[in-house]
Amino acid sequence: MALERLFDACEAVGPAPSEDFLARLVADAEALLPPPPLRDRPREPGFGWLARFFAASGLSGAAALGVWLGFVMPDVVGTMATDLAGDDSALLTTFLPGADLAALDQ
Amino acid sequence: MDRHASRTADDADGAPDEALLVAYANGDAAAGRVLVARLGPRLFRYAARVLGDPAEAEDVVQESLLRLWKTAPAWRQGEARVSTWAYRVAANLVTDRLRRRTTRAETALDHAAEPEADLLSAVERMTEAARAEALRRALAALPERQRQAVVLRHLEGFANPEIARIMDIGVEAVESLTARGKRALTAALAGRKEELGYANE
Repeated sequence: MALERLFDACEAVGPAPSEDFLARLVADAEALLPPPPLRDRPREPGFGWLARFFAASGLSGAAALGVWLGFVMPDVVGTMATDLAGDDSALLTTFLPGADLAALDQ
Repeated sequence: MDRHASRTADDADGAPDEALLVAYANGDAAAGRVLVARLGPRLFRYAARVLGDPAEAEDVVQESLLRLWKTAPAWRQGEARVSTWAYRVAANLVTDRLRRRTTRAETALDHAAEPEADLLSAVERMTEAARAEALRRALAALPERQRQAVVLRHLEGFANPEIARIMDIGVEAVESLTARGKRALTAALAGRKEELGYANE
């Protein structure tokens, strides 16, 4: 049939979009791109995450950090505390505000 | 025969459209670029064939894909094919534009049906560009729904059930539109004897 012949001839050949137009479509897609899920976002370089931790946790976070530092860097912390207060007992007092050394011995 | 199945966007070598859309919704820009490369040219070809105007076709395609990106985060997997959804949006936008046109499209000339053999012979002698132009002008003469159905079936290669989903009508309605559209196309082509080069045969 003549019409089928025409369809077959024209099927593969049709109007094509310009490269500029396709680039605009890509730009639209990128403009509306949703953010990736939180777990997939890259970590911030350096200790920016640490600052955000403190901002979120406040005093309790500071206390927890102090205990952690005391365990991982006892020499540094001990030296610093001694320099500040003169004896080793100042270490626990400094990093456990309000705690009584005598109470810990009970 | 479903010619569309042989060149479906679910490439064997790449991810299915739906997987790409989900990836896009999760922040994957490359997935969006692949979807543009797959859907953009196909939607443009369809819209340009029905509207007969590349600039309007660009507007339709751009709006269709904008709606796709906006719906991506809420896309429910398994409910519809991405390409069908995109074509459906494009078809609705095309219909809106056709109905807004104030000037009537070319109407089919009222001629008695010419012998089929003469028409086939004329088509065989035409150049590729002449065939494309003849079909374009004949399509422009069709009522919009017939035009849409004929383009989706015979130029875009969709099967009738898929066309039914795109046009939001029943399968029987698609069959009726394509049958009437083909009869009208044949009449329109027959009405252009001089252009087709068989007026004096």
